[in-house]
Amino acid sequence: MSHSLWKPGNGVLSFLVTGLSHHRSSVETREKYALAADRIPDELQALRATGLVDEAVILSTCNRVEIYAATRLNPAAALDGLKRYFLEYGKRSGAGPAAEDAGAIYQLAEPQSLHHLFKVAGGLDSMVLGETEILGQLKTSYATAQAGRHTGAKLNKAFQMAFNVAKHIRTHTNIQRGSVSVASVAVDLAEKIFSSLDQRTVLVLGAGETSEKVARALVSRGVQNIVVSNRSPDKALAMAGIFGGRTIPFEDWSRDFNQVDIVISSTAAPHPIVDTARLAPLMRQRHNRPLLLVDIAVPRDIDPAVLYLENVYLYNIDDLQTMADDSMKLRRDELARCEEIILEKARKLLGACNPGSTGLQDLQKPSTQATGGDHSSRGNSIPLPT
Amino acid sequence: MASWLTDRHYFLLAVVGYGLSSAYSVLLWRKGFRTDDRANYLLLLASAALHTMAMIRRGFTFSQCPVNNLYEATTFITWTIAVSYLVLGGFRRLRFLGAFASHVLFFLGVFALMPALDPPHTAKPDFSNGLASLHATLILLGIGAFGLSAVAALMFLTEEHDLKFHKLRALFSKLPPIQRLEKVMNVLLLIGETLLTAGLLLSPILLKQRYGVYFRSDPLLDYSAFIWICYLCILMGRWKFGQGGRRFAWSTLGSFAFIMLTFWGFLLLSPVHHS
Repeated sequence: MSHSLWKPGNGVLSFLVTGLSHHRSSVETREKYALAADRIPDELQALRATGLVDEAVILSTCNRVEIYAATRLNPAAALDGLKRYFLEYGKRSGAGPAAEDAGAIYQLAEPQSLHHLFKVAGGLDSMVLGETEILGQLKTSYATAQAGRHTGAKLNKAFQMAFNVAKHIRTHTNIQRGSVSVASVAVDLAEKIFSSLDQRTVLVLGAGETSEKVARALVSRGVQNIVVSNRSPDKALAMAGIFGGRTIPFEDWSRDFNQVDIVISSTAAPHPIVDTARLAPLMRQRHNRPLLLVDIAVPRDIDPAVLYLENVYLYNIDDLQTMADDSMKLRRDELARCEEIILEKARKLLGACNPGSTGLQDLQKPSTQATGGDHSSRGNSIPLPT
Repeated sequence: MASWLTDRHYFLLAVVGYGLSSAYSVLLWRKGFRTDDRANYLLLLASAALHTMAMIRRGFTFSQCPVNNLYEATTFITWTIAVSYLVLGGFRRLRFLGAFASHVLFFLGVFALMPALDPPHTAKPDFSNGLASLHATLILLGIGAFGLSAVAALMFLTEEHDLKFHKLRALFSKLPPIQRLEKVMNVLLLIGETLLTAGLLLSPILLKQRYGVYFRSDPLLDYSAFIWICYLCILMGRWKFGQGGRRFAWSTLGSFAFIMLTFWGFLLLSPVHHS
């Protein structure tokens, strides 16, 4: 496709974005505007029928609801119309006073709109910086719009380039490397120790909320055998039911220890329940196979001295949190490189030999201070009538 | 390639390649083994090709399997390690073995290039028949397998240290899981022990041919038997007593280091191999 589609002032389609995201709106607001996947085709049809847009893609996730549109109208007028449409939709869905939501809605025209799309695709605008789930959601939204013939040359080019940017960022930077939550760090560590997780048995000591999150993350990576041991048998049974696992009495948690590979511990015990004296013979029973101990209890359930036992790998909540924080810091350090990639790709798409002609100078400079938020998406990058 | 290049020239070029790979591996290590190791694999592949060319030329020059002196024995062990790595490195998650193997290859290569190790073939050992060549080849291949196992052990110890001490590198590196490395070590030790056993089983036949006896005390023969027992103990320790992890890795690494430090001396001391 010709880059002329992107040259400003040639009377063709403008690329616009409007919506709300986790940066400026609460979950209560977002859930009012959220669209179920099966409703999106109808909503796209209705939006097209207004005549405001020629092409449209609607993205609705738990952290953002956005309309990406291409229109022949004057961008400011089209954005104004889109905002009204957005608020009307909110009202239909039982939203509160429109004035409260209006402040949360951002409106972006070129080139900020393109910059925003690229940042969303690359996970730079996500709540968890660098997360990859958003790319899949963006692809699904685009496919839905494409299937309903709601996209054309303009949006096709923008989205293809956005997917290309996301791929480039993934392969050329470390923005998506490492894990940034306690649960996913624990799973990544397990994958560094064990050849595969599907044959591993996980013992959950104490059926708490965090231990459930870690267990859930392990199950999502293939773990099939979960054994739950809790002081309250009912809670143990409930958690075992979630994962299709089994329970063992809390007093007898070491009964099947020779089968266990990973222990997630989060009991409310005031003193360690696993120590070297107890673990050493158990390790011999299990022929010294590697054992990962994840102690997320405070006070700790596992005596730190067990780390001196061979083939025992112990991580407490602080260790996991520190690793998650360090990963996040590494991701933030990569932001400047990602911004450079985005600017380069945006410049390429806008076909601008002279950035001054495309408005690229309006885009923010790469920042290493960013926190995953898109400042240009807060509605104050370019003043537009609301 | 130019015909004036001798086998030693080819080997020298291969060692330069191993050296470059070794330097590149230091960079990979400093980056926490995060970047893809494909470049290192290709570098080692090119070096191994030159190394193979050196071995072929050597073999054709003297019309025999090139396993007759310390230079040839060392190059053969080095070649075994390089080729075994190239096979294992075909699996993406084991490719980082090269970052550890390159140092061993470079060290062995530089050692082999010392002039004193490659005397003229006039006083060469008596490997006059195919059986003798097979005997030497099997043993050197076995030592090569032990060498690569030691490389895997080094990789295991690095990663195990990172995991034990909660280094962020453990999370970011592209090294394979330590359990897989243990398996690789074990398999390579089994292959090495099998090859060593097969090579040593030919010794009585060769002794009978030359000296008319099935057994004769000789420093290298006694040493080889000792090495065989050492590795058997390591394997039995793992199989029977669940010896794994760091102790298994240190045993594997230490045993190979011992071979590297002592093999040459016992080979030179052996009258059976220099009569």
